[in-house]
Amino acid sequence: MTVVGIIANPAAGRDIRRLVAHASVFDNNEKVNIVRRVLMGLEAVGVRKAWIMPDAYGIGRKALDALRLNLEVRFVEMSPRFEEGDSVEAAARMVEAGARTLITLGGDGTNRAVAKACGAIPLMPISTGTNNAFPVMVEGTLAGLAAGLTAMGVVPLEVATTSTKRIDLWRGGTLEEIALVDAVVYRERFIASRAVWRLDEVKMALFTRAEPWNIGLSAIGGYLEATPLAADEGLYVEMGEGGCEVLAPVAPGVIHAVKVAAHRRVRLGERIVVVDCAPALIALDGERKVTLKAGEPIELCVTASGPRVIEIRRTLSYAAAVGAFIRESLPTDGKASRSS
Amino acid sequence: MNLTKEQLLTMYRQMWTIRHFEDEMAAAYMEGKTPAFDIGSGPVPGEMHLAAGQEPVAVGACMHLRKEDTVVGTHRPHHFAIAKGIELNKLAAEIFGKATGLGKGKGGHMHLFDVEHKFSCSGIVGASFPPACGAALAAKKMGKDWVAVAFAGEGAANQGSFHEALNLAALWKLPVIFIIEDNSWAISVSKRQSTAIPDNSQRAAGYGIPGVRVDENDVLAVYEVVGEAVQRARRGEGPSLIEVKTDRLYGHFQGDPELYRPKDEVPTLRANDPILRFGKQLLEQGFATQSDLDAAREAAKADVDAAFAFARQSPYPAPESALEDVFVS
Repeated sequence: MTVVGIIANPAAGRDIRRLVAHASVFDNNEKVNIVRRVLMGLEAVGVRKAWIMPDAYGIGRKALDALRLNLEVRFVEMSPRFEEGDSVEAAARMVEAGARTLITLGGDGTNRAVAKACGAIPLMPISTGTNNAFPVMVEGTLAGLAAGLTAMGVVPLEVATTSTKRIDLWRGGTLEEIALVDAVVYRERFIASRAVWRLDEVKMALFTRAEPWNIGLSAIGGYLEATPLAADEGLYVEMGEGGCEVLAPVAPGVIHAVKVAAHRRVRLGERIVVVDCAPALIALDGERKVTLKAGEPIELCVTASGPRVIEIRRTLSYAAAVGAFIRESLPTDGKASRSS
Repeated sequence: MNLTKEQLLTMYRQMWTIRHFEDEMAAAYMEGKTPAFDIGSGPVPGEMHLAAGQEPVAVGACMHLRKEDTVVGTHRPHHFAIAKGIELNKLAAEIFGKATGLGKGKGGHMHLFDVEHKFSCSGIVGASFPPACGAALAAKKMGKDWVAVAFAGEGAANQGSFHEALNLAALWKLPVIFIIEDNSWAISVSKRQSTAIPDNSQRAAGYGIPGVRVDENDVLAVYEVVGEAVQRARRGEGPSLIEVKTDRLYGHFQGDPELYRPKDEVPTLRANDPILRFGKQLLEQGFATQSDLDAAREAAKADVDAAFAFARQSPYPAPESALEDVFVS
């Protein structure tokens, strides 16, 4: 039986950037609607079972309310702690339960959490966060169809999915954290409200990808030296005087002139050593995460180990080309007809 | 964040002042009320609602306020009053019903009123929102950059007054910040059982104003978020709605058997004490030594002890004073 997992993060899209930028209050009821549309898409292409992460808001529970489905929907048995670890645990449980694809609703941070546990299972990331370079703005119905067709094997993985890069953060020989889009050294001592918005306090940044259509910190790299997802390289940028200024959309409605001292491409696996930056911390995919201690080096490197992601246009185009959406028409007497 | 060591230690000390105040009050309140719980007896008669555990909301928010900014609190008001700078002696004396109290002992714990610090509160759930709008309208009409803060619990966000106030504040672009303390329990009703939209910050979308949720009971997270909302209000850009996840360490009222609460909830919350976590952060970041932290905690305890001694030693108001201050002349 083909199983698909759905992880909707109720916490995405409601942080301080509603005040310091012009980010929208992303209504959780809209996430409920998106999950409904995803489920309809999955069912339409023959997926028989879906697992949903339980959450404080009850996104999954509300999505199922008054929805008539043949698809069997189950909630992952877990005790949500209402933190990032929930998405990690849910992804791990779904992989154990044999999920063939995982659909996420959230921003870069949500996908970062899911990527910690999804292994080789491809993601269909639907954007509902604030700074989204990793997930895509896509109608939930289409995301459900694409994730379902990939899970059912109608579209082969090599056609449906693209590999992504990630940043590994090493402390003392231990892989401590990952990021999917960016890691930045931020001159701030406290995690506090987590978001990164004071660009003058960013000391350096490492990007897995930097594309001119990104919003968020990676836009700085996108306009400076575009580094596509497909490139076997990342981009390292040092902020400060002595170089140039880049006008970049660093948050919704915030276009900032960022001073860049130097920048260069980095090879996959090349270690960037962060040392003598304390007091500061490292923000991953836009969230302050790791506190730097004086004299303790942290190493960052871009690798090819990011999760595989479903390419919606390619997947649906392939499915259409092989006739996955075509049913033979019935004559008025009810007997099946063949045109040739 | 541009907080100095002195400011951080002030916040730490203030959180301890609140905690000690509430713990001392819990003990004083029970005097004379046992063996059978008698709400009318003892030195502090009447209901008592304590805010231990909710220190981050009050301290993180009020750090941004000046004397001329207005704060309207709730039926659980002591932490707001202390964070707004009300004199501890007068606060304690009022709660003990003494003539030296803020309201000459006639208001008590749920009806604290301080003109000097522009502080008030009410025993009515949801009553903080409209007066805060009034204070904000006054500031706006007077051309001042003063702001008003309405604190309320998550249960109060289901009251009509919440929606009426948000509508008016958004319509008139008032310099008011609505801060919801989500301590998970509206008396004994869980948020899930009471609220159609469990994240109250999202209700901001209905009024076209910014809404932010702070998921952690963390004083610095509150400080950052409220700071932005206060600056926005002072610039004349209008109201904001903020909901903070916080934790109530005591019952709804003192004497509450808390049968509705899972048995392991309070021990879990106490193990994640926001004051201890903040102290640890200050140590790790080199803003304080252990002796700095100890000194702040002891100073807070001494202030509270002195306030309670003042309250106990103060006289009760004379019966005939009930006829005073009834009308403004």
